[in-house]
Amino acid sequence: MTVSAENVVKRFGAFAALEGVSLDAREGEFLALLGPSGSGKTTLLRIMAGLDFPDSGTIRMGGVDMDDRPARERGVGFVFQHYALFRHMTVAKNIAFGLSVRPRRDRPSGTAIAARVEELLGLVQLPGLGGRYPAQLSGGQRQRVALARALAVEPRLLLLDEPFGALDAKVRKDLRRWLRAVHEASHVTSVFVTHDQEEALDLADRVVVMNAGRIEQVGTPHEVYQRPATAFVCDFLGNANRFDCRLAEGAVELGGLRLANAAPAATGSGAGVAFVRPHEFDVAAAGEPGVAVTLRRMTATGAAAVLECAMPDGRIVEASLPVGPDWLVPGAALTLVPTTVRAYSV
Amino acid sequence: MSSALAPNPVVKWSLIAVALAFLGLNLALPLAAVFAGAFAKGLGAWHDAVIEPDALAAMRLTLLVAGIAVPLNIVIGLAASWAITKFDFRWKSILITLIDLPFSVSPVVSGLIYVLLFGLQGWFGPWLREHDVKIIFAVPGIVLATVFITFPFVARELIPLMQEQGRDDEEAARSLGASGWQTFARVTLPNIRWGLLYGVLLCNARAMGEFGAVSVVSGHIRGLTNTMPLHIEILYNEYNYVAAFAVASLLAGLALVTLGLKSLLEWRYRDQLAGAGH
Repeated sequence: MTVSAENVVKRFGAFAALEGVSLDAREGEFLALLGPSGSGKTTLLRIMAGLDFPDSGTIRMGGVDMDDRPARERGVGFVFQHYALFRHMTVAKNIAFGLSVRPRRDRPSGTAIAARVEELLGLVQLPGLGGRYPAQLSGGQRQRVALARALAVEPRLLLLDEPFGALDAKVRKDLRRWLRAVHEASHVTSVFVTHDQEEALDLADRVVVMNAGRIEQVGTPHEVYQRPATAFVCDFLGNANRFDCRLAEGAVELGGLRLANAAPAATGSGAGVAFVRPHEFDVAAAGEPGVAVTLRRMTATGAAAVLECAMPDGRIVEASLPVGPDWLVPGAALTLVPTTVRAYSV
Repeated sequence: MSSALAPNPVVKWSLIAVALAFLGLNLALPLAAVFAGAFAKGLGAWHDAVIEPDALAAMRLTLLVAGIAVPLNIVIGLAASWAITKFDFRWKSILITLIDLPFSVSPVVSGLIYVLLFGLQGWFGPWLREHDVKIIFAVPGIVLATVFITFPFVARELIPLMQEQGRDDEEAARSLGASGWQTFARVTLPNIRWGLLYGVLLCNARAMGEFGAVSVVSGHIRGLTNTMPLHIEILYNEYNYVAAFAVASLLAGLALVTLGLKSLLEWRYRDQLAGAGH
């Protein structure tokens, strides 16, 4: 099922949660809504689900207007950040809930429901746990039950609100892989909300980057990461270092260097803001053209050496190198030479 | 565990002794006195006082009033808590304040409000007389006053609980296709059942025991508009101590049963809340 938002506006009192958002999710697509808190991503998801209603604008599913369609008639599966499992029901009863509240003529028989529950417990890798209560499960298990419950009604659209937000890092990574596999098996059009860029880039077919109630960019993970359309997107993705610079006819002037601008649509001249990601630096001796810094700390715990440096005005610059030069000791002066820079006019 | 907060044993035990002495003097002793007074002339006298026609009429009336007030307040309390916790609307804080009103107004004033409204000289008095409807000094007035006094118990119990539980469960149920009624009956009600039962017990205890407001609107007509607390007062004023204490022992017994049930529920209820694992 395709789903689209057309010029959706939503205000809560004086706060504008969504300021005219338009968006299309394609059939079978896995779409991420990515942005900082307060960017309107959860509001948009809730409006798609029919749990909130827009002040103006339209949601369409499969081309059909959803304006007057309450949540219970939309055929949408919704997964909550805090699971929202019914605590007084067993796992099996939770999963069966959506089927058991159907009108009698549409309701599957008891044995059919039980079979469906078993099938879903297998899909979410919790076989044999149907008799447990939610309180007896771990966070990751609860979220898998919540997903099974949402999938039980064979939704036309699956919406997930920060599905891994309440879980610890290790569980989160496992569940992410697993969710991708479930999506590939079910092919339900899915939209999930996250503020975790790594999660969005890792999981989604396309990423929608939102900020302050507007969409900044829509693109594949590769596009939004490599060709951020706006300074916000560039700043939000990839822990970029931020510098003031000058723009001159497609080139970037930074620390006495003149570099090509890797940002798309680099036009105009004048003051700009430049972003350099930690791995996009080379190191040169002090006095060379580039960004003059003092090394404060160097850690070499992973595959890369991470250099925490300070500019003369005290701002911190982070660089990561495949191998840390051994002449570098804390307090040493050095120059960071950007290899790739993305700059935007201000 | 020894810490700065651990008091020395002398302080600890003297505090406990003070608390126990206070409770003993003010609660346990009077309670014992009620039962001692009730059985002062033996079981036979107690029995005679309890089955006396006016006493039976008072019990019937008390049960009738509680039987109307409690179910009514369950429905209204549930509706108010549901509205306050599951929806956003403009005058919410005013509604919450109004729910607390019966707690902050003296029961006598609550009773007088009804006299002012429905009494012979009251706003609706002439109209009511024309249509031959008696509210004040009759059963309807007693029911109205009791409903007013006991209104907050259910709502006060449910609002914090439902606020803490949030709206996620209801939204999940709706998105899974449940109707409003199915959501209420299968998700909301089971989530709040212990809190609701607790509120109902308190509401019932107060409905049966209310004196002030009921006293103003009742008219004290023996066998007709006397509830148990009013009946006790009349007996007492007539120096009929054994009968007064005998009927009082029934109310006190009810209080003890309520207290016991409440402790039991609190224990069950905490267990369930802890099990929910937030």
